Amino acid sequence: MKWFPSFGFQRRKRELQEEIDAHLQMAITDRVARGEAAETARQAAAREFGNIPLVQDVTRDMWGQAWLEQLGRDVRYALRQLRKSPGFSITATAMLAVAICANSTVFSWIDGTMLRPIPGARDTGDLVSLQRGERNFSPTPPFSYLDYRDLREQNHTFAGILAYHHDWITLTGGAQPERAYIANVSANYFDVLGIKPVLGRFFLAEEETRPDAVPNVVLGYSLWKTRYAEDPAIVGKSIEIARHPVTVIGVAPEGVVGAMPGIREDLWVTLDPLGTDVWRMTHRSGGAVWLNVIGRLRPGVSRGQAAQDLDTVMHNIVAAFPDDHLGENRITLDPMWRSPFGANGYMAATLPILLAFAAVVLLLTCANVATLTLVRFVSRRRELAIRQSLGANRIQLIRQMVLESVVLSIVAGAVALVLTSWTSKTFGWFFPANSSPLTLNGSMDHKVVIGIAVSSLLAGMLCGALPAWRSSHAAAVEVLKAESASISGGSRNRKLLSGLVVAQIALSLPLLLCSGLFLRTLRNLAGANPGFEQDHILTASVGLNIAGYSHDEEQVIRHKILDRVSALPGVKVASLTDWIPMTLGHKGEDAYPEGYAPRPHESLKVLHAEVSPRYFESLHIPILEGREFTPDDDEKAPRVLIVDQTAARRYWPGQDPLGKKLWVWGRLFTVVGVVRNSTHTFVNESPEPMVYMSFFQAGYETMVQVKTEGNPVDLAPVVENAIHEIDTRLPVFDVRPMRESTQMASSFAVIQSALAGMFALIGLVLAITGIYGLVAYRTQMRTHEIGIRMALGASRVDVLRLVLVQGLWLTGTGVALGLAFALGLTRLIARLLYGIGANDPITVVSVVMLLGAMSLLACYLPAHRAMRRNPVTAIREL
Amino acid sequence: MSEKDQYKNRIELLQGTLDMLILQTLQWGPQHGYGIVQALRLRSGDVLQVETGSLYPALHRLERQSWVQCEWKQSESKQKARYYRITAKGKKQLASDLGRWERIVEAIGSVMYVKPEESES
Repeated sequence: MKWFPSFGFQRRKRELQEEIDAHLQMAITDRVARGEAAETARQAAAREFGNIPLVQDVTRDMWGQAWLEQLGRDVRYALRQLRKSPGFSITATAMLAVAICANSTVFSWIDGTMLRPIPGARDTGDLVSLQRGERNFSPTPPFSYLDYRDLREQNHTFAGILAYHHDWITLTGGAQPERAYIANVSANYFDVLGIKPVLGRFFLAEEETRPDAVPNVVLGYSLWKTRYAEDPAIVGKSIEIARHPVTVIGVAPEGVVGAMPGIREDLWVTLDPLGTDVWRMTHRSGGAVWLNVIGRLRPGVSRGQAAQDLDTVMHNIVAAFPDDHLGENRITLDPMWRSPFGANGYMAATLPILLAFAAVVLLLTCANVATLTLVRFVSRRRELAIRQSLGANRIQLIRQMVLESVVLSIVAGAVALVLTSWTSKTFGWFFPANSSPLTLNGSMDHKVVIGIAVSSLLAGMLCGALPAWRSSHAAAVEVLKAESASISGGSRNRKLLSGLVVAQIALSLPLLLCSGLFLRTLRNLAGANPGFEQDHILTASVGLNIAGYSHDEEQVIRHKILDRVSALPGVKVASLTDWIPMTLGHKGEDAYPEGYAPRPHESLKVLHAEVSPRYFESLHIPILEGREFTPDDDEKAPRVLIVDQTAARRYWPGQDPLGKKLWVWGRLFTVVGVVRNSTHTFVNESPEPMVYMSFFQAGYETMVQVKTEGNPVDLAPVVENAIHEIDTRLPVFDVRPMRESTQMASSFAVIQSALAGMFALIGLVLAITGIYGLVAYRTQMRTHEIGIRMALGASRVDVLRLVLVQGLWLTGTGVALGLAFALGLTRLIARLLYGIGANDPITVVSVVMLLGAMSLLACYLPAHRAMRRNPVTAIREL
Repeated sequence: MSEKDQYKNRIELLQGTLDMLILQTLQWGPQHGYGIVQALRLRSGDVLQVETGSLYPALHRLERQSWVQCEWKQSESKQKARYYRITAKGKKQLASDLGRWERIVEAIGSVMYVKPEESES
């Protein structure tokens, strides 16, 4: 029992020994008392007692731990066997470790993102994310405060419904203004999430809409730690946000980063802390639609029931306020793991598919290790036969053989565990620097450990079971008798070996095909024309609106920035905007074109951006009709719009859009120009109508966009300086070339192709070594036969053909099966592809050719070796 | 393996009876394994010879079913030994074993001592 040093078992064993000793001692004492000689008494007592080890054995059986002892024996035996062939043990362990690690890495990413959508929240499985209207992949906040309040108060299926609005702001009052991510939240925000403060308190119901002279703020743990040095007396103190004094009322626990999956919030305030947003709090449409809403289902309520309940409430709201709810208003609910708000929508579209690929890699590895194992058992068939004839039954033999694989896979699992603790943290690498506070990363918790344990045990059984079952089949007598004549353990083994190799090829083909499709998608995305020029553009965010300036001050500073930056040497064109395309962010609004009758349930949402004069010029977006914005399109002038082709065609088909009018935010805008379509979020998006507004009429955030003569990076410090010269307290963030920012749009394509590529490479190597191993092994087994054939006159080409045909037959079968499998699988990834069909013939043909060529090479090597053999030595060899 | 099987068979054969005999012996007071063997031999007038290969597995099984408890104690002859004591649960078991035993003896008896003429009628 060295391998299972169970303390209790050892103690009981010792006690049993003592008990028996005592028995014998008493028997001897009695006999001596009756007058027997000491030695005779001892012998008689021992004889009377019987076989001591046997008594111990049958007694121990009563303890119900016999299986443990047997397991210990089997494990020791398995380890001894594995030590005897270190080459096999190390190869198999390494292959399994890599395959398990591939699975656990992807799973740790899923675990860190989709399975932990809101860190610190209680029972996130009961939380659902609410969406209104047409379902959209990355929607804008869907609810107004009043609609939210009605839903919260009139539903019958939720334990609580919270609302929040994510934004950013500057923390002033320190030496340097600091950007922080903030959320305006409903008073029940932390209650619904099930989070308790570490210090102070959270918001009270009566504070939800009440503006305060000095608003209250809840700090996030990391902000409290870094900016306020974990001050234990912070509650009640006053700090400054955007140059307004606020009072800290509480601190959230460590790790809590808010309710938007994958996005960090540093601090929280109520919905209208300063009383400056009264309009937004008392309207139901336009700019008042600004809240994301999450609900916690009552126990026992299904998502479908809850959606129906909310739909009824929403129906009443729409009936009461029809003008505020044009278009589609149906409510849909998503579990948090695939909530479209935040990062999980993207995760849910990518990571499960990658996990499926990883699972295929693991299956393939199991098939490969199973071939190696079978070959090993065949070479050990003599030993197995001897043990069988000595009384081991078939179950015992199988148990022992499977245990060898399980031991290997457990070691592999341990290695994978160590590797994963590192690889789980690599997820963040895929996301380029950007302005969103992404907190995406893998996590390594008990779920991942359990996942590794389960997959390694399953893999071990899978690797061991087939070969063991097959090997235990052989009749012992036959094996022992026919030792010399038996070749590779009979035709049954040959079939199993072939089957395993065919399976490997069939499994590697879909991996190769998918990775080929992903790689070509990535190339297409990189080569696609987004409709605007992104080279030689530098962008910088100026935290004007969040730094606490008055509106008039802001406008003055904006003009100053534009003037100063335009005058810098090396700057061709400078403009202002409040949006950068292809950065996963966008703004949406309901727009009501005059004279346009929407179809029933048609979404009236348009995307919008506010841009200054010369914006289109610097991005090379051509004006097709009308004019660009001019400096005269300011707050005193009538409000104007420039629409893109999609919007023009949607709302005024066959008409001249110039001069047409559009209601947005309850205000009337006149169309003065039409620009060519350009990419908004993803190259492969379906175009949505886009309207551009004049920056000086409707701009909110301020981003400077500079077209440079040389490398935009070189100009970054100069631009930053120029802005700081206007006011040193102006916070400037995210100064970087546009090329870098827009990489965000392809980061998921990069993840997909990088991982699929890696998995396919592993698959290819395994499949090729698998077929090489089999053909080489079989050829070696047939050395004698080949020698005879050659002696009887077979030519070298005949021998070559003999070996090659066998290998190619396997490859052909594998490829045929694999193609069927692959063409089913690629349908799953069709949605993720761009510029290429899921069954793209060129990719299919090249993948098949690659696999075919590699297996041909793998078969040629052993064939070549066999052909070169001298028939005389070949015949002698056995 | 075969030798082990023999022991197992014997335990099974005697199972109900041996358990009952052991429990009955322990009714008279806590006793160790050797003591139980001696007591059974004496009481049965040297007829019942319990094999150690049956006794110890039986004792450990009874312990697992908590019909007996055990502790290490010094015997009268200053020998440290493992003493078994019957528990309340064990006493209940003994009562039911005894009841069953009596029914079996009675049933077997009524089969064995039937008068020939009665069976013919």
